[in-house]
Amino acid sequence: MTIATAPTAGIPVGPGLSMFDPIFVGIDEFGHPVYITLAYRNLLAGGEPGGGKSGLLNTIAAHAALSVDSRLVLLDGKLVELGQWEDCADAFIGPDITAALDVLKRLQLVMNNRYAWLRAHGRRKLTAADGLSVITVLVDEIAFYSATVGSKQEQEEFVALLRDLVARGRAAGIPVVAATQRPSFDIIPTSLRDLFGYRAAFRCTTPNSSNIVLGHGWAEQGYTATDIQPTNQGAAYLIAEGGTPRRIKVAYLSDSQIAGIADYAAWIRRPRPLPAQVPDLTRLDLGMAA
Amino acid sequence: MSKSSPRRPFGRNTGTVTVIEAKVHRSSARNARLAFILTAVIVGLLSAVVAASYMHPILALFTGAAIAVPLGGVAWVLVRIWPVLRVLWWWTPEIGITTLLGAGWVQLANHTPGPVTLVVVALVVGVPAALPASRRALVAWTWCLIVRHRLRVCFAQFIIANQSGSLPIILWAKPTPVGERVWVYLRPGLSLADLEGRLDRIAVACHASAALIERASDGNAAYLRFDIKRREVLTAQVGSPLVDVIDPATPATDRPTPAVPTALDLPDVDVPTITLPAQKKPPATANGSKPAASSSAPEDDISDWI
Repeated sequence: MTIATAPTAGIPVGPGLSMFDPIFVGIDEFGHPVYITLAYRNLLAGGEPGGGKSGLLNTIAAHAALSVDSRLVLLDGKLVELGQWEDCADAFIGPDITAALDVLKRLQLVMNNRYAWLRAHGRRKLTAADGLSVITVLVDEIAFYSATVGSKQEQEEFVALLRDLVARGRAAGIPVVAATQRPSFDIIPTSLRDLFGYRAAFRCTTPNSSNIVLGHGWAEQGYTATDIQPTNQGAAYLIAEGGTPRRIKVAYLSDSQIAGIADYAAWIRRPRPLPAQVPDLTRLDLGMAA
Repeated sequence: MSKSSPRRPFGRNTGTVTVIEAKVHRSSARNARLAFILTAVIVGLLSAVVAASYMHPILALFTGAAIAVPLGGVAWVLVRIWPVLRVLWWWTPEIGITTLLGAGWVQLANHTPGPVTLVVVALVVGVPAALPASRRALVAWTWCLIVRHRLRVCFAQFIIANQSGSLPIILWAKPTPVGERVWVYLRPGLSLADLEGRLDRIAVACHASAALIERASDGNAAYLRFDIKRREVLTAQVGSPLVDVIDPATPATDRPTPAVPTALDLPDVDVPTITLPAQKKPPATANGSKPAASSSAPEDDISDWI
């Protein structure tokens, strides 16, 4: 990163993380570290309020903020869960479904362009060597956008756009990390829920809720998030590499630690905010793909 | 321990109650006979063939027999005392440690005056016991020794493996942050699924809180890994390593002070003034009978709806 005048305090050096690196999310029940690779996967976190979903989202956001090849798109209906990352995020959407729809349409366009670019190069997925940024989309409380605010039409459009991102964004380097308390069919459609490859079930009150997050049948095999102690915030069942749920404890970042990482990330990244002018979202760049 | 067994290892034993040790004993006697015969035949033939190039074939046969019988006897004795050898093998670490400690003590007592002996013993025992790290390591490794024996007790007492009574080979063990991890090689008659249903009893036998089992090898179903859990690590708070990679002297980012809302309590807000941003119509939710505007600040209102 070149700058016009070197600051007297020294030139910040990024830690050299990449979104294609494994992301540390916590420890497993044997005390060993747990890593997930998010570049080609989507993650859905569910569980009762106060279970630790935001801890997982903040841990992932911290890694993404400190990665050199990363852009952050944050959608947070509560403003405070991801709000500290606003300075290092390329887009931070609060409780505003119109803005959320705008940014999702932009992402869809980027995704289409990336696939056209990949096709032009005879390739099938983005790699770390391409030099393109991984655009991590973090959504805290999907239910707020998909079932609470806005008109029915806007909610459906939000779900449709998000489903498109989750379904197709994987190979284009646009992973989606979403959290909601109970991803039942009235909150997000089953067709969207089942597309998430990684699942993290924080404490649930019923085995059925646990099954909704992890996938049907796991509670019957003994993997149910109801056996997590209510006092043990951050404990979860994670299905990631390996295929069976693992009990993990998610790493916790305090507010001051998040502020420190966010300041440092903003210092080394100097993110370019998205241009205010909204591009013509109706145009299709399919001419290039054809 | 007596156990009623539906099937008999040999056709002629038709009793209803079989003592496992007797079964093992019979198996040992038969194995010893087989070992004697096999060793004697193979050694005798080989010796006779070799001897035949030096002497008359009939003399060579006698020579082969003379060599074969004692060697077969050695094999018979080895197989016959195998249960004893096996027990010695199981307790090899303990026997070795006890021997070393005893020999060390004798040497120390013989070569140093009394007070020096006491000081040395106090140091050797006291320093590892006083340092928390070494004490924890010693306790953990001691548990590893104990758990191997307890697992063997499980297999011998309530996990019926096969008719000859052979036990799984319990390989090495090592401490983990939650307990111990033991690698086991199963003998014919057991499988991972058989053991999964007995994990609660294994945990009891090992004086542990829980036991887990999984395959240690993708290519061999007999090679398993037991995880004995005595402690819970998931209740600990886990820090993120990213905190350590940032520069603590980072200049704080200049943030424009956001507009601070003032109506922070319920009486502060009027009924018609508060609307959710970009909300076209009130959402139909469970508490839809209550007006959306009756909640306090926008943040609180939002979380109520979710």
